[in-house]
Amino acid sequence: MSQDIKKKLDRVFNPRTVAVVGDKQMNNYMWLRNMTSFRGKAYSVQIDPNEIPGIEALGFDNYYSLLDIPEPIDYVIVAVPREVAPKIIADCIKKQVGGVTLFTAGFAETGTEDGIRLQKRITDMAKEAGLSLIGPNCMGIFNPKIGLRNGFNQYYGEGGPVGFVSQSGTHSIWFSLVGALHGIKISKSVSYGNAVVLDSTDYLEYLAQDEETKVIGMYIEGVKDGRRFFKLLREVTPKKPVLIWKGGQTEEGQRATASHTASLAESPVIWEALIKQCGAIKVDSLDEMVDVTKALLYLKPTTGNRVGLIAMTGGQSVVITDTFAKAGLRVPLLTEASYREFASFFNIIGSSYRNPLDISSNFGSVELLMRMVDILGRDENIDSVVLELSMAFLAIIRQRAEKFLDDLLDALTNFKDRSEKPFLTILIPGPEETAALETRARLVERGIACFPDFARGANALRKVIDYYCFHSTSGELSHGEKEL
Amino acid sequence: MVKSKIITNALREKRTYLTEIESKQLIAEAGIGTTLIKLARSKEEAISISKEIGFPVVLKIHSPDVIHKSDVGGVKLGLKSEDEVGKAYDEIVASVKRSQPDARIEGVTVQNMARPGIEVIIGMTKDPQFGPVIMFGLGGILVEILKDVSFRIVPLTRRDAREMIREIKGYPLLEGYRGQEPADIAFLEDMILKVSDFVDRNPEIKELDLNPIFAYKDGALAVDARIILEAEGKV
Repeated sequence: MSQDIKKKLDRVFNPRTVAVVGDKQMNNYMWLRNMTSFRGKAYSVQIDPNEIPGIEALGFDNYYSLLDIPEPIDYVIVAVPREVAPKIIADCIKKQVGGVTLFTAGFAETGTEDGIRLQKRITDMAKEAGLSLIGPNCMGIFNPKIGLRNGFNQYYGEGGPVGFVSQSGTHSIWFSLVGALHGIKISKSVSYGNAVVLDSTDYLEYLAQDEETKVIGMYIEGVKDGRRFFKLLREVTPKKPVLIWKGGQTEEGQRATASHTASLAESPVIWEALIKQCGAIKVDSLDEMVDVTKALLYLKPTTGNRVGLIAMTGGQSVVITDTFAKAGLRVPLLTEASYREFASFFNIIGSSYRNPLDISSNFGSVELLMRMVDILGRDENIDSVVLELSMAFLAIIRQRAEKFLDDLLDALTNFKDRSEKPFLTILIPGPEETAALETRARLVERGIACFPDFARGANALRKVIDYYCFHSTSGELSHGEKEL
Repeated sequence: MVKSKIITNALREKRTYLTEIESKQLIAEAGIGTTLIKLARSKEEAISISKEIGFPVVLKIHSPDVIHKSDVGGVKLGLKSEDEVGKAYDEIVASVKRSQPDARIEGVTVQNMARPGIEVIIGMTKDPQFGPVIMFGLGGILVEILKDVSFRIVPLTRRDAREMIREIKGYPLLEGYRGQEPADIAFLEDMILKVSDFVDRNPEIKELDLNPIFAYKDGALAVDARIILEAEGKV
């Protein structure tokens, strides 16, 4: 891995000074507004006299040229019309800025001669000067720790351990926003559009060396140098999990990637092989990206695929079992010791404890529930513990004892902290959607992994087990039959 | 690593299609088992080579212009005697002349008839993004109609080879199905790794096709081999 790229991109991803070129009223000065949270110094560059009062009203110093700014600039966001882009790039080169995000669109992705010619021009200029150019046709960098945002409603002040590399601005911003609701915070993310100079591989190489980043997610429409990406990915995944969401998996989808980021069609079967070979994790949607990232962050690592399942009712005990089994996980019988213990207190009328557990009428108190959870936590036949939390069920109990939910959450947090095994909760909203969101937030606060349905929980668990197995010394499941 | 003479010769002669003899020699150099093969320039030579190799034998047209030999009647299998070989020689030459009159016929290759096994294929093509990619599948209709194949990017690891064999839907056939002999899967893994290593060392190779390979319970043999080189200046 190259130290050069680390050094070069460190300046761009952690700027002390930023300039926004060409922000305007029509966009509601969105780039400058994003910059109101920036910890360093942000400048505006705008020559239109009609725009300048609005910019100054937001509290930014405006200059007529990048070259007039009286200090070095680490990072520039360019939002000018495409015809002006070469002139601004020339200024960036002259000013020796750290890097540039070219928000401006209308290049090769349009498929027009003009767009292609302009793209080639700025590419040649940047490459010749060694300028770190992000984009064009992108949203650039989000670094919450220093308040550098690419979406106005993004959080700032504190970052997290997840790096995100996205060829789409929507996916990078939404991942940061949706992820935050699930306890996933970003270290650094980048939306990079047409990738004419810096490509996914460069960002991967950077984040692989970034100490704040422990997990890397990627949304990719196409790569420029497949061999280099392949070799690098193989090198990175044993150190940091890499999740890959490939856009353009169908012929129709590839037509969309061509007009979105001018990416060339790539064979989906080869991508699948690549991800498998490198021990990366394949995901196919934003939700799946969120689920598996969450599982990586909040579940204790395991290479075992045997799950102990607790459902609150009979019907759910059947469905949770089917769903986890379909995901390639095993739902084995418990040890004799566990069964003896259950027999000593568990009321089997209307309930069952074979695995899955259908606890129904046995859910009399938090203590009783935790006793059951603990048995699974100790059972040698079980690698992961999964608990269904039915919102409808919780709401009924809550009516009886107001403190009930608090006590339950405290007890679950306590179990999660001391258990060696991954612990997942599945919070099914049923008809209680609003209450479920509120409860989810409280689980997230406590660092308890929570999924909205069985399938998403099962899939996330399966994918992280596969990841840990691939990178374990034996490369195989630690218990039970080997599955590919 | 010294380049094989076969590749340097072909490139000098500006040929991109290697003959079956050249292809088999090359893969033999790479440590991959294949049938014995010799070129006969006349009927008499074909008969004497057959006696030397031992019956039954296979005769195939040898021409730089014929790529799909079966399509032009250029292949005769299971020839058990001098008479059958002589007759097959004449038939092959006549048939190729009829179906592809401008093909340069340099003779006919004589090969030993491999004992039948489970047919598998190993191929290599170049992906525009990721470079050489190895394909594995079961031979015959399973690959042609069902597209039951798996892919891995070169260079492959042992794990890749192991997984790509087990990944195909027809894998149970290799484990021995209904009393059929199982295939030597570890041997196939080695073969895949040898192909990966071979194409990795020889970027001049554009395409490679070992189809079929007969897999036995103790080993495997590439029965046909086809190698295409990159056009000049592409490497």
